[in-house]
Amino acid sequence: MNRGLKGLESKVLDRGQCAACGACLSLCPYLRSFKGRAVKLHDCDLSEGRCFSYCPRTEVDLEALHRSVFGKGYEDIEAGPVRRVVMARALGPALTKRAQNGGVVSALIAFGLDEGVIHAAVLTERDSELLPQGRIAKTKEDVLRCAGSSYVAGYTLEALNRGPWQGQERIGVVGLPCQVLALARMKASPLEKRTPVDRVDLVVGLFCTWALDYRPFAGFLKERFGDKPIRKLDITPPPERLLNVTAGDEFHQIPLDDIRAFIRPSCQVCLDMTSELSDLSVGTVEGEEGWNTVIVRTEKGEDLMRLAEAKGVLETRAYPEDKWAHLKEASILKKQRGLNALKDAQEKYVTLPQKVIDAVLKEVAP
Amino acid sequence: MSLIAQDAPGKTILLMGNEAIARGALEAGVKVCAAYPGNPSSEIIGSLSSAAEAMDLHVEWSVNEKVAMEVVAAASFAGLRSLCSMKQNGINVAADFLLNLNLTGTQGGLVFVVADDPGGISSTNEEDSRIFAKIGNLPLLEPATFQEAKDMTLWAFSLSEDLGLPVMIRSVTRVSHARGNVRLGALPRPITKARFDINRPRLAFPPFPNHKALLQKMDRAKALFEGSPYNLYRGAEKPELLVITGGSGWMYSLEAVMNLGVQDRVGLLKLGTTWPLPETLVLKHLKQAETVLFIEEVDPFLENNVKEFFAQHCMNLGLKRFYGKASGTVPSAGEISPEIVCSALQSLLRVAYKPRPEDYATRAREAAAELVPARALGFCAGCPHRATYWAVKKALALDGRQGFVLGDIGCYGLGMGPSGFFQMKTIHAMGSGAGLAAGFGQLGRFGLTQPVLAVCGDSTFYHAAMPALVNARYNSANFILLLLDNSATAMTGFQPHPGTGRTATGKEAPVLDLKGICESLGAKVEVTDPFDQRATTEAMLKFLQDEEGVKVLILKRECALVRSRKQKKLYHVEVDPERCLGEACGCNRLCTRVFKCPGLYWDRATGKSRIDEAICTGCGVCAEICPASAIRKEVA
Repeated sequence: MNRGLKGLESKVLDRGQCAACGACLSLCPYLRSFKGRAVKLHDCDLSEGRCFSYCPRTEVDLEALHRSVFGKGYEDIEAGPVRRVVMARALGPALTKRAQNGGVVSALIAFGLDEGVIHAAVLTERDSELLPQGRIAKTKEDVLRCAGSSYVAGYTLEALNRGPWQGQERIGVVGLPCQVLALARMKASPLEKRTPVDRVDLVVGLFCTWALDYRPFAGFLKERFGDKPIRKLDITPPPERLLNVTAGDEFHQIPLDDIRAFIRPSCQVCLDMTSELSDLSVGTVEGEEGWNTVIVRTEKGEDLMRLAEAKGVLETRAYPEDKWAHLKEASILKKQRGLNALKDAQEKYVTLPQKVIDAVLKEVAP
Repeated sequence: MSLIAQDAPGKTILLMGNEAIARGALEAGVKVCAAYPGNPSSEIIGSLSSAAEAMDLHVEWSVNEKVAMEVVAAASFAGLRSLCSMKQNGINVAADFLLNLNLTGTQGGLVFVVADDPGGISSTNEEDSRIFAKIGNLPLLEPATFQEAKDMTLWAFSLSEDLGLPVMIRSVTRVSHARGNVRLGALPRPITKARFDINRPRLAFPPFPNHKALLQKMDRAKALFEGSPYNLYRGAEKPELLVITGGSGWMYSLEAVMNLGVQDRVGLLKLGTTWPLPETLVLKHLKQAETVLFIEEVDPFLENNVKEFFAQHCMNLGLKRFYGKASGTVPSAGEISPEIVCSALQSLLRVAYKPRPEDYATRAREAAAELVPARALGFCAGCPHRATYWAVKKALALDGRQGFVLGDIGCYGLGMGPSGFFQMKTIHAMGSGAGLAAGFGQLGRFGLTQPVLAVCGDSTFYHAAMPALVNARYNSANFILLLLDNSATAMTGFQPHPGTGRTATGKEAPVLDLKGICESLGAKVEVTDPFDQRATTEAMLKFLQDEEGVKVLILKRECALVRSRKQKKLYHVEVDPERCLGEACGCNRLCTRVFKCPGLYWDRATGKSRIDEAICTGCGVCAEICPASAIRKEVA
């Protein structure tokens, strides 16, 4: 069994299972991203490599990873470890306009940079063609440029590997569940690192049910809207199931079923909706526009939240019980879908104790 | 002083077969010489160009063989003696004109030399050019020795004038490229004045009477050849075995017969005038032997034509056993050797013969390895083509649509192998990459979604790719032509071409600008330096996304060998062992395992890459590709 690029190819790349996290990129000259795809340029014959070791779709021992991040195994099966959950929104006006929902992520990162909690953040910026790419943000302006989502997965961690870095920065990372998972794998990998992953001091995870494959989705948008710049994409909460598109000066709504075909296949085997391996997880709040859900998972996350609340960067509210139950239900359903998909999959990437798997599958949504 | 232009009649000197041919032409008073380079023929015009000034000749590298043939035909029409030369592929190009020229006939002696490459050692094909003498009804001579190479060429000019026909000389690699003693003749300096007789137009049309007249000329040729001293017989009157041979087969047969000590049993009929065959002579010897073996390189040309005689005259000849390529006694492909002739003789005569030991070839290789460093078939150190294919490989991988490169013959043809990262997927004739691309470039409407690329060299562009490009533009094909402009006809020995600003004789010439030509055809043209990997890859990616029309990317960088002859290294290149990642994850020997420039080597002892100072040409491309910035280049 090859645990280098060959293994990555046969297990992930050739099977269309790449999650587009970027953890394998800018480590070596053999892999590069181009227009939303990870591309192998040359053959590498190493039996063991970081690309394989970091990938969130090769060999993921969730039990061990949870232990390495939280000091305890995969116990909180509903939505990962939770210290508290709140509704929050940014108080600065600049952020909410471009950002998704309450603008909490942008606000927290900008605040973290301001306060020196972190010196740089690895974020995701989308270019005029909507192509998402990892970016290193060091100022509030940088953060603003990266605000908002395009629902397209985009090699964020490549920026972490690529730098440039000075060598001492404390780094924050904002990522999708697969990226947060990859980050945990990077930290836990026994291979010689030569990346600044050990200086990643803050991990903000995003909620995600699926992400789109860039090339077909960009092709679809181009076909629908021609050369009009796509200014904002937003998915309406259930039961509407619509994608709001601001194309040029026009506002359109596309049924989600029209874009389902562009969902990355690797999303189907994903067990994580809420970015469980993070310090803080942020997402929407069902039925509450202009607000975010924030799950505080670690002490580090708690410290930042408290500081942001105290300094008036964020406004928070208690999380309604029914919404929290709903969120956990959605999270469990995703795990169940993922585990069921994995039952039929030729390549299984997750290792979990059977009793945990059974528990997840038995969990009846409230 | 040119070696072949020595005015020393009677002197014996060592000449390469091609030089002997050139000397024969000088002794015949040749005035106009033209060719497109191609191994194993290139030294004929090469050596004549060095004698051009002293002997007052016009010598040119023409853009292709057809044009070369036309250039020398013009001289012939104007009463001058002229010569053109080519490799076997060349006659395919020249054939269209040649098979009309046979009908119009010639005035001044016109000799064309075709040097075949048995085994295709430096060719895309293995081809016997002699068939063209038969198709075209043209007299054909095959020198067997170096002296004959000179003498036959000299004679061929008067033969051409006698018959009013172009005369073909067929050589092969081991005649053209080997060396032997040649006794020189006198060097005339004819004072000739070119003049075209307008009362004697050269019109192939109407073909019918011209064809008839041609056949009559060939009847005369046959009569002349019956008594030619270039046809000779050695052996008993009634030999047990008659060997019919010519060209390189003659020396191989002589050697084999001597080695086996079967001089008394074998009769050797050596033919030097091989089309039309001297029928009477052949029949005379055929009658005397029951068993006949043919020794010749490439096709069974003598074999089949002698069998035609036999079919015609079998009632008078009696039963025969024929051995050669048809019987499988002699291989039908690849070069002939004395060894092959020995085995054939041994099997037919049942003589005890100890073939060379099976490990002979291995031991010979081992012995040679002590003298010559091992060298893979690949691009030289610092070759711009390696850099080009590296960029192609990256660009096609990133594009991800299974684009492919169509190629042709030239140094860049090595793009089909490891040093071109196996990027080139077709190889045929000169310019065929561009021609195939003009076809592939039409298949989008039938569902072809793969990007189409073609490569051609600068010299090849003028030779045969231009019509393909015109065709592609006119018919709106969609493809990218990678025009590898290394400012040389590198593979055949750095002959100048219309883009170099020099003629065959070293005179200044106008540079026919590749970019300007392509732009004037309406192609989208970009020029990059393949050593600038980033710009080159980006230019390719840009063109890959442009799905309309003909795009030409000119990759401009002088051939590393040409450059190294006139200037020092561009960069001094060094590997910093501290930074070199070696086999570690993050590099895994990209430079020595994947990029594989011979200027770099893997030092097993230290586990680091190193520059081979003796081989590195200082192009600096490896410094660009090193992921750890361990390879440093400094302007030398």
